Amino acid sequence: MVSRRIIYLILTLVILIPLLRPFKLKPLPMKPVENLFYYINNMPKDKALLISVDYSPDTEAELHPMTIALLKHAFYKRIKVGVLTLTLLGLGLAEDALRTVVKEFNERAKTREDSIIYGRDYVFLGWQTPPLVPLLGMGESITKVFPVDYYGNRTDTLPLLQQIKNYRDVGIVVSISGSAIPMWYVTYAQTTFGVKVGAGFTAVSAADYYPYLNSGQLTGLLAGMRGGAEYEELVEKHFGKTKRRKATEAMSSQTTAHIMIIILIIIGNIIYFKQRRRK
Amino acid sequence: MSTDIWVWIAAILTLGIFSFLYKDNPFYRFCEHLFVGITNGYAITFYWHRILVPSLIKPVSQGEKLYLLIFAFIGALYFTRFIPRLSWLVRIPIAFVLGYGAGAAIPRTIETSIIEQAKATILQRSNFLNLFDAISSIIIFFGVIATIIYFFFSTERKGILKHLAYSGIIFIMLGFGASFGYTVMARISLLIGRLTFLLRDWLGIIK
Repeated sequence: MVSRRIIYLILTLVILIPLLRPFKLKPLPMKPVENLFYYINNMPKDKALLISVDYSPDTEAELHPMTIALLKHAFYKRIKVGVLTLTLLGLGLAEDALRTVVKEFNERAKTREDSIIYGRDYVFLGWQTPPLVPLLGMGESITKVFPVDYYGNRTDTLPLLQQIKNYRDVGIVVSISGSAIPMWYVTYAQTTFGVKVGAGFTAVSAADYYPYLNSGQLTGLLAGMRGGAEYEELVEKHFGKTKRRKATEAMSSQTTAHIMIIILIIIGNIIYFKQRRRK
Repeated sequence: MSTDIWVWIAAILTLGIFSFLYKDNPFYRFCEHLFVGITNGYAITFYWHRILVPSLIKPVSQGEKLYLLIFAFIGALYFTRFIPRLSWLVRIPIAFVLGYGAGAAIPRTIETSIIEQAKATILQRSNFLNLFDAISSIIIFFGVIATIIYFFFSTERKGILKHLAYSGIIFIMLGFGASFGYTVMARISLLIGRLTFLLRDWLGIIK
């Protein structure tokens, strides 16, 4: 009997070594990721992208790269962005993603036109509860559901929200979550107002939502860290190199860890069958 | 190595949680309790400052929207849970929440998870435009029927029903396999995230 501590130690080494000495991997974007990317890419100019940061720090490693990649895509394409969260702990993460991406773009910008400006190019609506209020209320008026934004500004004074009034002005809502929150958008916002919904799920729950992709209720789906890496790959392919690709950087460790798990499963099965034969 | 005290605190707490991998210990339990306490404290503060003060206390104290007091009173009945003699009153706010929640959810859930999903399994001409889509559509159609029959217990499994139910098991097992594969990826991702934090943000070993 091998102690589980030895397995933990081997797993840590298998992850640590590629982090210290990564090998090059090129993620191959799958259809659900491409569907979301190209839908956003081809959205009419007057439509906004609404990103719902519905995860907490425990799933940050998997989901945060998706938010960052989506924001980069939107800012490259000059798509107007609204960010909100239906989970309280998502507030800090949403702000971190916005701060990181806006800083990266504004460091490169030479004029005010090139810059990403709050209120003109993006807004951070913050958090509202109970979830049914924003889910249904945004179909009527975004500023009524969020009278003030995260920073305390009156939302009806922000130029972006004078153009983007409700779901009719939203091209797609992308909810990134470690729970079933994207399905709330499908159940309430899509069924009632017909808004398009995309989703980013943690890998552990992704398999449950493929049927909604097949039925067309989800326009696209990013599954776990791999989904984030594939989206990063598409952003880089279309818009050139970006500063950091968090999900892609982790793919070497992900690959070696998966190989190790497969080997352990095979060894475990061989031992099991040998023991059964002996009995 | 980081000079930010918050990065150090986060790193030490991460190591504290990881220490459970060796065995349960007081340091791990301290980190766990700290996490629960901070999360609740953060939530209560936010509910107070972002919801109760601007949406209830402020307008009511200015003599506006006084009708909100009725809803605040109904909501406050949740606290009667702590008074055994009056605890039955808690049913009133629960009835409101359940009534509203069920009313809003049931028709939309039927539409989303039953009608739309059933529609997606219907074979149409558009499913056969290319070979891959055609094969996928047939597998989905057959898989749904077989899985439903596996959970059909009202009659004895004989003949075609028996074969379909056994096929249902194969589809269910494939589903479990996909979920397990994704679970491995999810858990490894979380470990990679923490190790990256320790190596990059705390120790500065990797760029």
